[in-house]
Amino acid sequence: MEARPALSFQRPGAKQLSSMGMSGALSTSLPVLPTPLEETYPKLPDSQQVSMERELVTRPLNHASHLSSNSSVVGHMFSSSSGFSTDLHYSSISPHEKHSRHSPFISQSSTNAASLPITHSSGSLQSTASHYAKENSASWQTDSLSSFLDFPVNTPIENSQVEISSCNAALASEEFTKWADQLITDDDALASNWNELLGDTSVTDLEPKMVFPVSKSSPNFQAHQSQVPLQLPATSGEIRAVANPTSLANSAPAKPRMRWTPELHESFVEAVNLLGGSERSSEKKLTPIEEMSLDLKTGIEITEALRMQMEVQKRLHEQLEIQRNLQLRIEEQGRCLQKMFEKQCKSGVDKLKTSATTLENPSTPSLDTVQESPAKSELDASQVDHGKTGTDPVNANTALEESSQELGGKHKVSEANDPENSEPDACESSSQPSKRPRTDE
Amino acid sequence: MKFGKRLKQQIQETLPGWRDQFLSYKELKKLVRSISSAPTLLNGSFEYGRAEEEFVYLLNNEIEKFNAFFMEQEEDFVIRNKELQQRIQRVIGKWGPNGNHPSEADYKEEMAKIRKDIVDFHGEMVLLVNYSNVNYTGLAKILKKYDKRTGGLLRLPFIQKVLQQPFFTTDLISKLVKQCESTIDAVFPVEDEERTREAREAIIVAGEGIFRNTVAALQSMQEIRRGSSTYGHFSLPPLNLPDSELIQSVQLNSPIPTV
Repeated sequence: MEARPALSFQRPGAKQLSSMGMSGALSTSLPVLPTPLEETYPKLPDSQQVSMERELVTRPLNHASHLSSNSSVVGHMFSSSSGFSTDLHYSSISPHEKHSRHSPFISQSSTNAASLPITHSSGSLQSTASHYAKENSASWQTDSLSSFLDFPVNTPIENSQVEISSCNAALASEEFTKWADQLITDDDALASNWNELLGDTSVTDLEPKMVFPVSKSSPNFQAHQSQVPLQLPATSGEIRAVANPTSLANSAPAKPRMRWTPELHESFVEAVNLLGGSERSSEKKLTPIEEMSLDLKTGIEITEALRMQMEVQKRLHEQLEIQRNLQLRIEEQGRCLQKMFEKQCKSGVDKLKTSATTLENPSTPSLDTVQESPAKSELDASQVDHGKTGTDPVNANTALEESSQELGGKHKVSEANDPENSEPDACESSSQPSKRPRTDE
Repeated sequence: MKFGKRLKQQIQETLPGWRDQFLSYKELKKLVRSISSAPTLLNGSFEYGRAEEEFVYLLNNEIEKFNAFFMEQEEDFVIRNKELQQRIQRVIGKWGPNGNHPSEADYKEEMAKIRKDIVDFHGEMVLLVNYSNVNYTGLAKILKKYDKRTGGLLRLPFIQKVLQQPFFTTDLISKLVKQCESTIDAVFPVEDEERTREAREAIIVAGEGIFRNTVAALQSMQEIRRGSSTYGHFSLPPLNLPDSELIQSVQLNSPIPTV
């Protein structure tokens, strides 16, 4: 099938996988792995969901039994895996995607059961693999098999490394695995299917390619994921070598998507917190405190730094208020002037009409100016007028500025509003006197 | 040009999530230039009307952007304000001297955290007011340029409309800021020993973060209002900062990564 290139890859491996005695046959119990693989494989596209579900029901038990041998660090994962059957989140996961997802896991988990020639595989490795697988099947929606292969299931291999990459070993790993556990919880069926499909006896096959499909809502998760693949290649070249078929599948373009469930998120957040707090504060709100050496700052220094910060912030706020008031007043005044011009223009027109014969009308020059102003920008007109009257508007401005500075600096905003309310009147009255000299010219 | 540079600088200094929420001053200026460079199509012509339409359309888009961002932040601040208040009450009630389990150590520790958070919160709110102001200034300037270059009368009525916009009505935020300040003064009173240390070192290095942004905003404001080449009826007078030494004493270096 074209749609599932990865699967086709896995075919040859599938047999190997099955021979591994991996738990989670597609639709039967473990021992029957090889045959169901062949049977179920063609069935996958159609009835994967159904088979998956069945798998999920049966697999937990199988897995548990197999994985129990691999406790080590991930021991607690088993306990959590018991709940995975309840965590089925199959919605619209396309069959082959699921498949691809799970197969690597399955293979890994299966290796647990069987005697896989995994160099690194500690028990934890395998258990985590299976757990990943479980979770994957349930909660992920992959776009293609290849993406499934991309999943760094191998992380379990480098269990310690993975955890270390995230943060501190013990505690972090526990949380991480718990979280990963949840992720894998629902993945069982797929994992088992995949196991069969791959039929690969070595975990290594699937190892390098698995990348967790990350849903859009969990960028952090992706960060974690990306750490994992880094670890993987570092480990065993041997593993990688075997994983050739998967590598090919790996190169397939589509990106898997994981459905981020609330439970998933909770565990993730827990893990992250244990690992040292959220990194999502891309806005690193560093204050002056952080600027000082984090080790040596004393209480007084912190307080002082905070006070300084407050000072500056208060200052900025003050100035912003002043500026805003000024801007409002300027616009207000502009509006008043505009009205003045318009009124004068109208009255000027009327005057012209009534006294059409009196061309020596002293107000004509200024009227002409005023008449032109609506046509041009009012700024030009006012500038012409300013040229005539000189300092009047400037004085008005500075007067405004002084008063508003006083107001803004010392009074509260509410108080500042009052002068603004009386502003239109002031504007009118101030415009009048300045207007008269102009018209008199 | 000066404003454009200043604006760019401010955008650089601002909180990362805010960077693309500012006015696209440069693009608008280019548009104004292109409109005015076709002088034959002026006043009354169809082309001119179309150009103006486009300009207005872009401006409206920008305003929408400001409004959306501003209101989102405002809402966030209202919620955080409540949370902070509650947090303070909880700590006082639990570990305070009259609380259920008076514990000075815990109280001090929690209060220290709250103090830092509340100062940052205050800073963010002020930066939002600054955001509003910077964008308004930019709009006013670009409108002035437009009118100057095309001889249009777009500015005055348009700016009146802008004044009414949610992003410019910063009253609520200012109120929250004041409330924050009074809370801080109430909960963290200045102690005598601190007063004696008020004469502090001249130079403080500010790295990334809210503090840096605030200082940058202040400096920027001062620069923008230093002296306009086209000082006119609608220009803001130069900024007169009381205690300007305070601001100048804070040097803004490039962010030093704190390992």
